[in-house]
Amino acid sequence: MIFFFLLLFLVLVSQIAELFIPALPWLYSAHVYIVPVIVFYGAMALPFPLMLALAFYAGVLLDALTVQVIGDKVEVSAGSSILLYGVLAGIMHGLRPLFARGHWEVHCILSGIFTSLIVLAQYLMITFRRGSLVFTREIWWQIGAPGIIAMLVAPFVFWLLQWLGRMTAYPYSPERGRFE
Amino acid sequence: MLSAIRYPVSEIGMSRTNIIALLIFGAILGYFLSFGPSTTQKFKSGVYQLLAPFLTSGSGLKKQITSVRSGLKSLDQLEHENSALQVENRELRATNQGLRDVEHEVNRLRHALNYRERSVFKLIAAEIVARDSSTWWRTVTINRGRRDGVETDMPVVTDEGLIGKTTTVSDSISIVLLVSDENCRVAASVEGSREQGIVSGERVTTGLTPLLDLNFLSKQADLKPGQKVYTSGVGGVFPSGLLIGVVKSFRVRELDGQAQLTSAVDLSHLEDVFVVTGRR
Repeated sequence: MIFFFLLLFLVLVSQIAELFIPALPWLYSAHVYIVPVIVFYGAMALPFPLMLALAFYAGVLLDALTVQVIGDKVEVSAGSSILLYGVLAGIMHGLRPLFARGHWEVHCILSGIFTSLIVLAQYLMITFRRGSLVFTREIWWQIGAPGIIAMLVAPFVFWLLQWLGRMTAYPYSPERGRFE
Repeated sequence: MLSAIRYPVSEIGMSRTNIIALLIFGAILGYFLSFGPSTTQKFKSGVYQLLAPFLTSGSGLKKQITSVRSGLKSLDQLEHENSALQVENRELRATNQGLRDVEHEVNRLRHALNYRERSVFKLIAAEIVARDSSTWWRTVTINRGRRDGVETDMPVVTDEGLIGKTTTVSDSISIVLLVSDENCRVAASVEGSREQGIVSGERVTTGLTPLLDLNFLSKQADLKPGQKVYTSGVGGVFPSGLLIGVVKSFRVRELDGQAQLTSAVDLSHLEDVFVVTGRR
């Protein structure tokens, strides 16, 4: 359980840190997202109920920070990030035997793809509200680049979290799907 | 026959605990999805209020890191310039850097104080503590909230011009929707003409200085680069006479004219701002 609470703490810290990381002007003002990588690692390392709890927690934080209420209009409904994290973390959770057998690369690539999917889903939601579906080169970069960055940082984050799991003597076996 | 295909739930990968967890998750998700605008606003402001201490201290930490980094950069340049006087120069540079920071701070605050005194508006001084981390919205967080007299839909300015308006207000911090956001719409008039239109940001901006669009102008407007655009006061949120930006280009569209503006304020380097609470 210590490891689970450690993940909750890391999600909070990363979410706050993201507010202070400026957009990258040399990469079409793309943003850096670390939280999804931590959540996707948690999805593989935690049992199903705790995975849902982590996805819920990260979703609430993301919702609180991204949902915009302008006048009487809500652009992206509260709960949408919880749903996104829940579904994507669920897919990741299903692939945990691969991870347990040492195939990190699949999950690193998927972390990147899923991070971009979150940004794409937000874009589609605001487009639905504002109208005029536009996909320019800049938009594709702003959707794709956070995924590429997440893919690049994922091996380091996964290694760090794996190490933290060992340090806290975390007993859950992802391959067997139960605590040892 | 039926009993032969009725597997125990645990064998098909879903234990009773997992199903219960999934049901609870679904129920809470449904509850969140049912939030209306006012509940969402309360939820957002509540979470921001909880995060306020972290945001404020994070902002201070970021300033310190930036200051140290710029100091180290000077030292590095100094090393290349004169290796013989390296040690002595390093000390002098460090002292100068510290003094320069203080001088910059004094100038900044004096500038802000002067503006506040000569302004025709009642102003609340605020500091930017965080910027929006998301891709699609352009907002900043300021360290003033309901306790300081800030309310929703109050204009936010600097001595150079309009920045945006407050959207979510909690007790000690508020979120400001920048004028460069597509959702921030400001009724505007053009200096030296009778033209009026609506200024809004663009959905996607990639540069450090995003452009603004002035829409719904007449086709005959023929605005010239350099003409200033001010708030017209229509709509009730923004008082008239606040500088929004300067015309960069003008084009005629099928139904109306549209001008692109350069914002009067450098939105990428905001430090101190003022919330307009009314006129004096």
